[in-house]
Amino acid sequence: MDDLAIREPPRILVPIKVLEGQALPETLVEFLAPADVIVLGYHVLPEQTPTEQASMQFEDRARAAVDDIAHAFHEAGREVETRVVFTHDRDQTVERVAADVGATAVLLPNPVGDIEELLVAVRGAIDTDRLADLVATLVGADTQRVTVVGITTDPSEFDATVAVGDARETLLARGLAPERLATETATSERPVADIVDRSDEFDVIVMGQQEGTLWSALFGDETERVAEGAVAPVLIVRGQPTESTSG
Amino acid sequence: MGATRDADGGENVNREGEAPTVVVGATTDEASVTEEGTELERSIGLVGGLAIGVGTMIGAGIFVFPGLAAGRAGPAAAGSFAIGAVIALLVALPTSELATAMPKSGGGYYFISRALGALPGAVVGISIWLGLVFATAFYLVGFGNYAAAVLAEAGVSVGGSVVVPLALVFGVLLTGLNLFGTENAAALQNYVVGLLLAILVLFLGYGGLDALGVFGRPSAPERFMPFGPLPMFTTAALVFTSYLGFAQVATVAGDIKRPGRNLPLAMVGSVLVVGALYVATIFVATSAFGSAALSSFGETAIVEVARAFAGRRGAVAILLAGLLATISSANASILSTSRAVFAVSKDALIPTAASRMNLRYGTPHVALAMGGGPTLALVALGEVEVLAEVASFLHLVMYGLICVALIAIRRDEPEWYDPDFRVPLYPLVAVPGALASFGLIAFMQPLSQLVGVAIMLATAGWYKYYANDVSLKGVL
Repeated sequence: MDDLAIREPPRILVPIKVLEGQALPETLVEFLAPADVIVLGYHVLPEQTPTEQASMQFEDRARAAVDDIAHAFHEAGREVETRVVFTHDRDQTVERVAADVGATAVLLPNPVGDIEELLVAVRGAIDTDRLADLVATLVGADTQRVTVVGITTDPSEFDATVAVGDARETLLARGLAPERLATETATSERPVADIVDRSDEFDVIVMGQQEGTLWSALFGDETERVAEGAVAPVLIVRGQPTESTSG
Repeated sequence: MGATRDADGGENVNREGEAPTVVVGATTDEASVTEEGTELERSIGLVGGLAIGVGTMIGAGIFVFPGLAAGRAGPAAAGSFAIGAVIALLVALPTSELATAMPKSGGGYYFISRALGALPGAVVGISIWLGLVFATAFYLVGFGNYAAAVLAEAGVSVGGSVVVPLALVFGVLLTGLNLFGTENAAALQNYVVGLLLAILVLFLGYGGLDALGVFGRPSAPERFMPFGPLPMFTTAALVFTSYLGFAQVATVAGDIKRPGRNLPLAMVGSVLVVGALYVATIFVATSAFGSAALSSFGETAIVEVARAFAGRRGAVAILLAGLLATISSANASILSTSRAVFAVSKDALIPTAASRMNLRYGTPHVALAMGGGPTLALVALGEVEVLAEVASFLHLVMYGLICVALIAIRRDEPEWYDPDFRVPLYPLVAVPGALASFGLIAFMQPLSQLVGVAIMLATAGWYKYYANDVSLKGVL
């Protein structure tokens, strides 16, 4: 726990709706570049369209768009892996590729300007080491400030103070300067709404994957509301891959 | 995607100079991978596959044939439906093996063109497109009939004249849903099939208990074979139409998750589910009325059975089920038509422009229009019943050739042939499967046979004219 080094280089999966002109802000590219990045360009088709048919017509366009994003990372000094997928089911695809590449976190891109302030929302048991590896790698020697907020709906079930303290210790151990780190705790009936409400104060939100699959965390009710409501990009930290899914 | 064009570009192309497109290189349980490394997610599970199979088939066996079949074979009509299920299984097993060896879009057309060559492939592929158009028109008119009957039952006095307009309106709606509906078409299919199955299971459960005397009114036992055993077999030929459609599961093979497991289960499973429902329907219907009375009701026999059980509410519920059955069959057929067009267009047997799609809605608008357009024209013109039998003819030709394709490929297995599912004792399945499929054609009306043969000759002529240099055998 008291190791200064990053234990495990974080791998971030960046899903992009590649044929709908979704772009990655330049500042976000620079922010993510210290981590291993996998760009997943995907296109969702209605069920009545064979994926094969779409790939015949749009594969070249999709690959070119993903290559453009890879080039942006190249400019920022990071060579990235790219994947292009035609699918009927975005959630299934993101979940499969995330497990396939062993992603630490999945990005939900939203527009962003300069990245100065990070909100790390801790809402339940979370792999603190993975979270700290991720945050410490991304902010590194830069000047961003990190605010860890522990939110609980029921203090007797989940003690936000302990969790935030734990996260703080681990981040400090990874080399984050104390003056760049703030902590808060809150009790709220509506943790998701609270995160959304505060998203305009921050430039990037980091939060844990809650129980259930990555699917429900990413696009299920809760996080969907965060992603849609939040004005900042969101990084979802995945749970540790289990033996069965790591292959 | 690489075109299999020769160095001089002069061979293996159609009249427009378009070559077959090979899209998919490797396949896994979760995705197919194109030659450039793009992944194509497999997103239809076992339930989705079953919904396609059951949704395409279910309908005729319950809502058209019970009266007709009971009149010909008596209670042994249940045996006729069981024989039909056995024949369907004889074809479903070879189709399953071929589909697990080639889990790609196209279904029967794909297997036949790869195993037997481009000419039989073109005949099957193009004529199945027309066959599906005919079948869709038939289902839409069926929908119109049921919708008119529901209106009549509800006390709205309408003549028979509303049937065609209702069918047309609904055909436009379904085609539009598939053209512009970005996520609802497949979900609709699952809900419709689910609701339909729920109504049928309730109805058959109640009717079955009643027939066994649970409600204190044991029905008078009737001789099982009042006309002897022969009519049971000839009636099987008549009712086999109600099993057409299980191979439609193979047309979406490229989108099925874990194809090695789910394709055989979905195909064989949907035949078993539908067969069990058909046999139970005949048992319940003949127990309630006796075959002579049933026969006199004709095509609405099942509605009268429901009315006998539960009065007007029963009749309305069964009419609603009939409405759902025609919706599900029509929708599944529209989807299959679009995939059939794509499959032959990808292989340059028809202009490749037919597989164009639009990015805005992400739907294959050309292929859907090539299905929906002629369908609506046929509905407006009438005469769909002959065309429905022609559709059966063309399906049976495909089924027979699928069995032949299995035999051909097993006798001299190519290197690439590695199915996850192998038919045990395959000659004992595929040979009777082929004979039964071709044999059933002999029971059809001469007019249907004539039209069917004419269509096959026309498609062969088209191949000779347009795509004579295209070769597909063994091209994966």
